[in-house]
Amino acid sequence: MTKNTFSRRLFLKSSAGAIAAALAATSGGKLLAQGIYAPNILRQQTNEVVFAIQEFAHPAIKSVLPDFEKQSGLTVKLEGGPVSGNDMLTRYSAAFAAGNSPVDLLSDADDSSPTFMRAGWMLPLNDVLPAETWNDFPASMKPHIDGFLSIEGTRYRIPHEFAVGYFFTRKDILDSKNLKSPKTWQEMIDTGKQVTDASKGIFATTDALIKPALMYVYVAYLTAQAGGKVFDFDDGTAEALQFLYDMIYTHKIFPETAFNQDYTAQNELYMADKIAFMREWPFFADVGKAKTDWFKPEKMVIELPPAGKAGSKSWIGGWGYSIPKAAPNLDGAKALLKYLTSVDVAPKLARQQGFLLTPRASILKALSSDSNPLLSAIDMYSKANVFSARPFHPRLAEAQTVVDDVASVYLTKQASLVDAIKQGKERIAALNS
Amino acid sequence: MLEVGQARPALDQLDFWQQADLIGENILATQTLYTPIRKSVFTLTLQRRFLLIAVALLLPAIGLRLFTTVYPFIQTAALSVQSYNPAFPPAKFVGIGNFVKAWNDPVVRASLGFTLSFVGFSTFFQVFFGLIIAHLLNAQFRLRGIARMISLIPWAMPMVVVALGFRWMFDDQFGMIPDLTRRLFGLNSMRWLIDPNVAQIAVIFVNIWKSTPFVGLLLLAGLQGIPSDLYEAARVDGANWRSMIARITLPMLMPIIVTTAMFMLVWQLAVFDLPFVMTGGGPGFSTTVLAQKIYLESNSLNYGYAAALGMILVLIVLVIGAVGLALFRRFEVE
Repeated sequence: MTKNTFSRRLFLKSSAGAIAAALAATSGGKLLAQGIYAPNILRQQTNEVVFAIQEFAHPAIKSVLPDFEKQSGLTVKLEGGPVSGNDMLTRYSAAFAAGNSPVDLLSDADDSSPTFMRAGWMLPLNDVLPAETWNDFPASMKPHIDGFLSIEGTRYRIPHEFAVGYFFTRKDILDSKNLKSPKTWQEMIDTGKQVTDASKGIFATTDALIKPALMYVYVAYLTAQAGGKVFDFDDGTAEALQFLYDMIYTHKIFPETAFNQDYTAQNELYMADKIAFMREWPFFADVGKAKTDWFKPEKMVIELPPAGKAGSKSWIGGWGYSIPKAAPNLDGAKALLKYLTSVDVAPKLARQQGFLLTPRASILKALSSDSNPLLSAIDMYSKANVFSARPFHPRLAEAQTVVDDVASVYLTKQASLVDAIKQGKERIAALNS
Repeated sequence: MLEVGQARPALDQLDFWQQADLIGENILATQTLYTPIRKSVFTLTLQRRFLLIAVALLLPAIGLRLFTTVYPFIQTAALSVQSYNPAFPPAKFVGIGNFVKAWNDPVVRASLGFTLSFVGFSTFFQVFFGLIIAHLLNAQFRLRGIARMISLIPWAMPMVVVALGFRWMFDDQFGMIPDLTRRLFGLNSMRWLIDPNVAQIAVIFVNIWKSTPFVGLLLLAGLQGIPSDLYEAARVDGANWRSMIARITLPMLMPIIVTTAMFMLVWQLAVFDLPFVMTGGGPGFSTTVLAQKIYLESNSLNYGYAAALGMILVLIVLVIGAVGLALFRRFEVE
């Protein structure tokens, strides 16, 4: 019988040995503990910083990275970040809960940030960023920073976006009918009736009311104008819901199809001359300008929001940078964050991308000579005291879902206003217990 | 293999694998089992070595199964009796508290109701139309192969793409479907994705459209297994097409129909992507399925409550599975 030169035993021994050697070489136990985030171990060795932010902001960020990389010796890898708070929770919760993080620095949303902060997954930034950076923010943003970005004075996130629901008007359409932009809720109805022609699909106004979360945005906006607190389901909230109901069914100046509409559809209607005025986020300024065959300044005039009982109001929010505690490259993340938020670099980013624009003193000063409609709008809204704090709840995502559900149930005539408000109160009380 | 007259080498001069080879070959020849000569008290017997090797080779597969199925199930069951949210520690034992909360939660009740009606109606019509499609595609006609291929297109499309597409198609202002119903039937706005009841119908319709080809394919395979001489004999006896379907096709196909229906019922109980993308679960929560509620709760880090809802889903699947097995045994054709 001839002896095999390569026996099964030799094969098994060799394979086991190779696997053991690979594990030992790459800090075996730690590698296994990292699970699917094992490449993080390797990343720590390569001085790479992974930064997740929405893709449309990448060109602006990339423009300032060469200087940072030269100064620090680090390499920044940009990733497309989630586009909503729900997406943030879906993408990162599991990793953070397991003590891992696929990124070093991320752009985080208002809906998800309180949850991450309270779970103890984010790094405090008080000692990371200099006082000069924090003091650069205006007083109007302080309630937002203290409510949404901090817990008991410890800051976990720094805003890079100043999101306000601006009131965009088609001055060209209103002028053609000799109408003025509405200043109050009543004027919205009166002007709206003169503009609306349902047979041609033309309405006074609309908004994105599709679930999840978009219905909440508009209801909270109207509730701020009615002087209510949306999570309390108080009289102001009831008034806001009634007003929206009346716009849709009583005065018919707001299309029912909005229940199935997102921001893309809303913007398309506005640019297709089907809507005379609307609340929309700042990003629409870039969207409208990018449509060069359509854009004219009079088609996108930002005015003060129509006033309810509490005046002309619009709540502020926005995305911000934070650092996960489990970030593989904490030092790199801190260095990058300091750089991006510095008084020298922040204005450069703000000039290029509305998503990176906040009314910081350094930014306003640097951009004062630019004809940026958003800056003019910030100034106008600030002087008119339009900004109101974003409604806060410790379990924000769930509370917003309650508002979504309850408003939707009432507005689609599945429940009366009284029953809807009662249901909202009960569900919020269940969250608070 | 030893040749006739060839001296058998001393077994203790061979290594384990050579002994195994030699012994294995000779078992076949002589039907006699040899035991390798023990070298020391620590040497394993052949039987034990084979057992060890078998266990070692099976271990990765068993480990994977334990890790990906058994452990998550046990962990979910354990979480379902706790109130656990990492953002609001500590976790505490609540017994059936989460299940009581689910019973009192209007969204859970509504989503459970819609999930069951979604699954029930979808499965019924998928089987019904699947049978029709299977019959049509079983007939002999030119370009049958191409027809079969085209019929699978809806099933091949990703669900998210289908959901987004139909969201636009049902749009009252821009959509093709309201436009067609207006032109053909004079029906004004059906409020397709706005009216809660109509939105449910729309979501179920899209699900039926998407998955019927798959059911048809399975039933076609079953149809092709029915001997044609049964039909010929029936024709000779004067049976019409209705009698043939009722007396031959359906009884012969019943085990496959039951299996397919059970499979579709269980599979669709966990549906999430279609209603989530098409309507977001609205209007209100009329098209929210249980899987979406589980997603929303776990996204809010309410792991205990989400786990309890998951266990409720498991219970429903078990009940349907048990019913399916009982029906299958009843209709099984020997």
